Amino acid sequence: MMRHGAGSDWSVRKAGAGSTGASEAAGPRRVRRSRDSAHRCPLSEGSEHSSERTHSNSPGRQPAPHPSARTRPRFPGGSIMDATVAEYIRRTVLKMPKDEIKMMLQKWGFLSEAQLQTLNFHQIKDNISHEVVQLCEENSADIKQAAALDIIYNHIYQNKRMWSVYQMKKSGEEDEYFDIADFKKKFKRRIRSALKNVTITFKEYEDNAIWIRVAWGTPYKKPNQYKPSYVVYHSQTPYIFISASMLKSNLPLLCQALIVASNYHDIREMELRSHSLNSLKDIVFKRYSQNFETYTPKPLQGGNVEPENADIRIIHENGREKERIHRLNQEAFGSGPQPQLEFAQYKLETMFKSGPKMDVLDKKEPFRCLVKFSSPHLLESLKSLAPAGMADAPLSPLLTCIPHKARNYFKIREKKKSFVSP
Amino acid sequence: MAAGRGPARGPTGAAFERRGRAAAAMAEEALEDGRTARTLPSLRQLSRALPFARSHGRLGVSASGRLTVPALCSQESADPQQTAFALRKAWTLYSVTPLHRFRRSRLSDYARLLSAFIAAEKQKGLAVEVGVELDIKVALSSLAELRGSELDQAALLVQLSSRSRASSKNSEDKLVWSGWFCSMFGDELSENVPENFTCLPLFLTHGAESYTSLVGSWFQKTFDCCFRRLAISPLNLSWMVAMWAGYKLERAASAVELVFSMPCLSQPLDISYAIHPEDAKALWDTVQKTPGEITQGEVDVFMDCLYAHFHRHFKIHLSAAKLVKVSTGIASAHCDGIVKILHSQYLPGVLMLLTELAISQIQ
Repeated sequence: MMRHGAGSDWSVRKAGAGSTGASEAAGPRRVRRSRDSAHRCPLSEGSEHSSERTHSNSPGRQPAPHPSARTRPRFPGGSIMDATVAEYIRRTVLKMPKDEIKMMLQKWGFLSEAQLQTLNFHQIKDNISHEVVQLCEENSADIKQAAALDIIYNHIYQNKRMWSVYQMKKSGEEDEYFDIADFKKKFKRRIRSALKNVTITFKEYEDNAIWIRVAWGTPYKKPNQYKPSYVVYHSQTPYIFISASMLKSNLPLLCQALIVASNYHDIREMELRSHSLNSLKDIVFKRYSQNFETYTPKPLQGGNVEPENADIRIIHENGREKERIHRLNQEAFGSGPQPQLEFAQYKLETMFKSGPKMDVLDKKEPFRCLVKFSSPHLLESLKSLAPAGMADAPLSPLLTCIPHKARNYFKIREKKKSFVSP
Repeated sequence: MAAGRGPARGPTGAAFERRGRAAAAMAEEALEDGRTARTLPSLRQLSRALPFARSHGRLGVSASGRLTVPALCSQESADPQQTAFALRKAWTLYSVTPLHRFRRSRLSDYARLLSAFIAAEKQKGLAVEVGVELDIKVALSSLAELRGSELDQAALLVQLSSRSRASSKNSEDKLVWSGWFCSMFGDELSENVPENFTCLPLFLTHGAESYTSLVGSWFQKTFDCCFRRLAISPLNLSWMVAMWAGYKLERAASAVELVFSMPCLSQPLDISYAIHPEDAKALWDTVQKTPGEITQGEVDVFMDCLYAHFHRHFKIHLSAAKLVKVSTGIASAHCDGIVKILHSQYLPGVLMLLTELAISQIQ
């Protein structure tokens, strides 16, 4: 246990060796920890880096506490929070756009309104972040609060991450009543039984979404707070959305914990990935405007593709064709806005068929191709292909089936053009 | 629907016309039925002044097609070290008009002058790097082996290295920019220029744009030449991909990939169409009738096959899209005039194509 004398831990730190360049997941370079000695890493005593001179505020490999963190007067009786937590909060604030920092801190609710009033939001972000850290020190923030702030940022900027979709399967029992507390307890227990060094944080949102943030460590290292996984689960559905920027090795454990906690028995990854979390939800929850296979009579007086020109001297020669294309497009895509996907990928293993006049390749083996479509808004651009004359209408079902089949990765084999799942 | 492509391609041969061949006049008509007539190789069809057609007796190529794998001038003593710098880097392409009064013997003088020029420009405030003080060292060297025929000039390599003033004297120089002038079978141009002019029509650069403009302006001032960015049209890109797809590679090669961009849509759409290299080569082998020669008709057939296969699945007309990038295990090329060459064996062939493009842009 470290002494609490007024100058003691300064001297301990300064005696330490220089920075070892270890990752931030290494033992805490603590300023002082009065209560919780369990966090102390045996390696960290005296291994503080002498960075008063060489510290820079730019993101280096090792997030070092700001010099001012040390020279500020300590509060009598209070503890100063962990330097890694302080740095993590500082970096999270730096990620936020300047005009949104106040809103996010308010959502966070950890700092009081009075404290927020003391902040000057008109200075450069760097200084704002330091002031926020100072206030957090007054309140002795720990890693749980820091993680909560991170969830808030990532919830608002969810589209910066790439999300994959997983589907869980029940073994056919009745739907049990979902108990959130039970879910959290089982989830934590399952993860912790395999790995002690994790930080798990939950947050529930109004749309019944449960956000889970997990920061992973190893049996020998503290959790890396800078590369957490995010999970979004709507308890009334069997779908899980996982943000894929994490060590792949932890994925099985995460999946296992999810099915254990939610009382399912199996989970599989769907072939569906996108940055737009809401669009993924639209697709799997079928919230977009679909077109059902009912007979729709030809729209009266032609569904107007474009506003009629007032000048009757202008005649569209291919007006009929345009209407036909428009109608087919509606049938294929529906009339509402499309879910937003960024890409679709097709692995083709079909035979090559030469045209009538060409005496080319006629192999018995498949012609292997990989086709990838990318666009800021894929389905909208596919929808506009036929009207622009660049595709036939109706468009190929390989493309129009994307929302119905809830997938954007396909493997197509030659079997009378039916879909063969991978 | 693919027929809509026909007329669009014909006139892109400024490359066609420049050859001044009689066949060029027939080119426009032959284009339409070029494909159907391909089973009867007639002189009329084959001698449509192809963008890359050659008449070198030396290479044993007839006036009709072109040889696909030319060798470097002094292949026997080819030093892989000499050409290694050119591989696996993304080079930005320019065409250069002939240099006036360029003397190979004065390379070290030129290096000094260029170095002084760059230093002076930096003093003027056109600094290229902010913050760090850099001394730029210039090195000019001749690469005797990087040329096609005896009539070609040897390639000229310009390298800019920096040594930070802060670091010690014997620290390594860091290469910050390189550019080289080259002519690979560029006889078409060099035959027609007067004395005192050096023809090195192709200029490739790698490094910061600011250095490129510094070096370019010095050359322009000193040798009264003119640089222009060399864009690669979709027609030429399709030639490249057809040609390169047919090359044999020993190891497992990367896919033959074509990247298309769809214009005029509400949301931009990019399509990447990657074909397994063995399958692409198998297709090309059945299309190409005479080994060692390629005709426009064969390239058209190859591309049409790829388009048709795509259309069969997706009902989209790739022929209406813009081909912006092609990439194979040999090399990759982007329509903005950026190439990357991966195989030393095919370096002369790629350079020959690019030299032709550069020459056609100059003329």
